Amino acid sequence: LPPPFLSPAADPAVISPQDPTLLIGSSLVATCTVSPAFHLRAEDLYWTLNGRRLPAASYAALGPTTLSVALAHLNGSKQQSGDNLVCHSRDGGILAGSCLYVGLPPEKPVNITCWSKNMKDLTCKWAPGTEGETFLHTNYTLKYKLRWYGRDNTCQEYHTAGPYSCHIPKDLALFTPYEIWVEASNRLGVAVSDVVMLDILDVVTTDPPPDVHVSRVGDLEDQLSVRWSSPPALKDFLFQAKYQIQYRVEDSSEWKVVDDVGNQTSCRLAGLRPGTVYFVQVRCNPFGIYGSKKAGIWSDWSNPTAASTPRSERATGGCDPKGGEQNTTLRRELKQFFGWVKKHAYGCSNLGIKLYDQWRVWLQKSHKTRNQV
Amino acid sequence: GDSWGIFTFLCAALCNLPALPALNCTEELGAGQSIQKTYDLTRYLEHQLRTLAGTYLNYLGPPFNEPDFNPPRLARAERVPSATVDLDLWRGLTDNARLAANYRAYSRLLCYLRALDGQAGTAELRHRLGHFCSSLQGLVLSIAGVMSSLGYPLPVGPAGPPAPPGTSVAPNDFLKKMDDFWLLKELQTWLWRSAKDFNRLKKKVPPAVVTLRLEARGF
Repeated sequence: LPPPFLSPAADPAVISPQDPTLLIGSSLVATCTVSPAFHLRAEDLYWTLNGRRLPAASYAALGPTTLSVALAHLNGSKQQSGDNLVCHSRDGGILAGSCLYVGLPPEKPVNITCWSKNMKDLTCKWAPGTEGETFLHTNYTLKYKLRWYGRDNTCQEYHTAGPYSCHIPKDLALFTPYEIWVEASNRLGVAVSDVVMLDILDVVTTDPPPDVHVSRVGDLEDQLSVRWSSPPALKDFLFQAKYQIQYRVEDSSEWKVVDDVGNQTSCRLAGLRPGTVYFVQVRCNPFGIYGSKKAGIWSDWSNPTAASTPRSERATGGCDPKGGEQNTTLRRELKQFFGWVKKHAYGCSNLGIKLYDQWRVWLQKSHKTRNQV
Repeated sequence: GDSWGIFTFLCAALCNLPALPALNCTEELGAGQSIQKTYDLTRYLEHQLRTLAGTYLNYLGPPFNEPDFNPPRLARAERVPSATVDLDLWRGLTDNARLAANYRAYSRLLCYLRALDGQAGTAELRHRLGHFCSSLQGLVLSIAGVMSSLGYPLPVGPAGPPAPPGTSVAPNDFLKKMDDFWLLKELQTWLWRSAKDFNRLKKKVPPAVVTLRLEARGF
C-alpha cells in the first residue's frame, strides 16, 4: 500500500538552520520543532545524519516540542548534494530534513592551456587548484577579453575536451592578444586563476595531413616512399609547415619517428627490412603561421597507412662463378656422392668436390671465350 | 437497403484492398508491431532506470539510497501521476483509456525529469539522465504512434506540469530530494505497469489483423 498522504496544510516539523553552508571543522546546533497538529513531544524525537542515528547525549530539549542536536568538527560533506540531517519521530517516520553543505572554498584554477583549430575557434583546458576536493559542487567559468578592449566574454560550451575545458566556437580576432582566465565558485566562495595572455596565431593546430600514400621505390627492398597533401584548411598558409612521420613494423608497438621532414609533402624511408609490412602516420605543425615566431601545436597523427617492402624472389647467389656457392643443392648432393664414393669405391680417391669445382670454372671460361668469338 | 449497400462495399473493398487510399491499411497492419515495439521499449527503459536510479540515489546520499527507505509522501508529490490503481478498475479500462493514461503519465514524468537540477551531480550522472530522457521521449512518441494507428485521438491538455502558485517548486533542498526520490519511484512503478498494459493490448490487437473502419456516408 502506498504510504499515507500527510495533510498539505502543515509541514510535520521545521528544522533550523535549513540547508546551511559550513566550513570544514565547524560546529553546528540544529533544532527540530514539531507542529502542534502532530501531538509529539521533544522526547519522542531523534536525529540521524546520512542515515546513522546520532547519540542521544548530543540532544537537548529546548522546549516541549523542540529538540536540538549538537554536531562538532564537521567533516566535508559525504556527497555533493549535501549531508542529510533528519528529524524523526519515535517510530522512525521522517518529520523534516535539512541538507548540510560542509566543505572548503575553491582554490585558484591552474595550468590553463589553449589551442585553436585552423584559427577558427579556441579550446582551453585547466586544472582545479591543488587540493581539488572541495566537497561542494564547484562551478567553473572561463572568461576572455581582447587586450586593450573592455568587454569580458564568457565561454558557453563546457566539457568538450574533458571535465575542465571549454570551447569558444567563433568570433575570434587575430593579431590582438587575448586575456583568458577561469573563475571557480562554490557556496563558500570564489577563486580566480591568473590571467593567461595569448595570441590565437601562436596556438594554432590543424587537421592531420590527408591523402597519405605509401608506396615501394621500384624494387628496392629497404625503402618506401611516403607522400601526403598539406591539410586543406590551412593549405594556403602553410609555407613553413613542419611535418613528422612515424612508422613501425606490423607486429611491433615501437614507433620510429622521422623528425627532419621540413615542409615537403613527401619523404623516403630507408634502412627498412625487406618483405615486411609497415604502418606509417604523418602529422603537421603549422609553424610560423602569419609570421608567428612560435611553433604551433602538432595535429593528430593521420590514420595509419600500410605498405610492404619487396622481398626478392631469386635464391641467393645466382649464376656468378666467382665467390663459390653456385647451385647449392646440386653441390651438396655431389659432395655427399663423392664422400660415398671415397668410402665404397677404392681407388677413385681423386674424385672429389674440388675437382667438380675446377671443372665448373673451366666450363665458364670456355663458355665465355666461345661467346666472345 | 442500407445493409445491402454496406455488404457490396465490403466485398468491393476486400477485393480492391491496395487500391483504396482512404483506408490507410499499412497503419492498421502496423498497430500490432507498434504495440510490441512499445512493450519492448518499456522493458528497455525499466532496465536503464535501474542504473540511473542507483546512481542518482547515491548522489542524494543515505538514507535515500537505502533499500528500505520509505519516506512520507507529502501532498506536494501528488503532482506526479500515480501508476497505482485498483485492480478491477485497471482490468476494466478500454484500450483508449489505457493508452491515454500511459501517454499522459509519461509526458508529465518526462517534464519533471528534464527539470531535475541540470547543474547537479557528476558529468556521468547528467549524461545518463540526458540519455534516459531521450529514450523516454521515444516511448511517448511510440505510444502516440500506437494511438493514432488505432484511430484514437491524443489526449489534449498541458503536456507540462501544471503550476499552481507556490507548490510547483519544493521550498527546501531536503524536500526537493524527497520529490526526486518519489519521481524515480513513480517512474519505476509506471514502467512495471506499462509492461502489463502493453502485454494486454498485444493480445487484443494481434499483428496480422486488418480492421476496416466504415464511415456511414450515404449508405
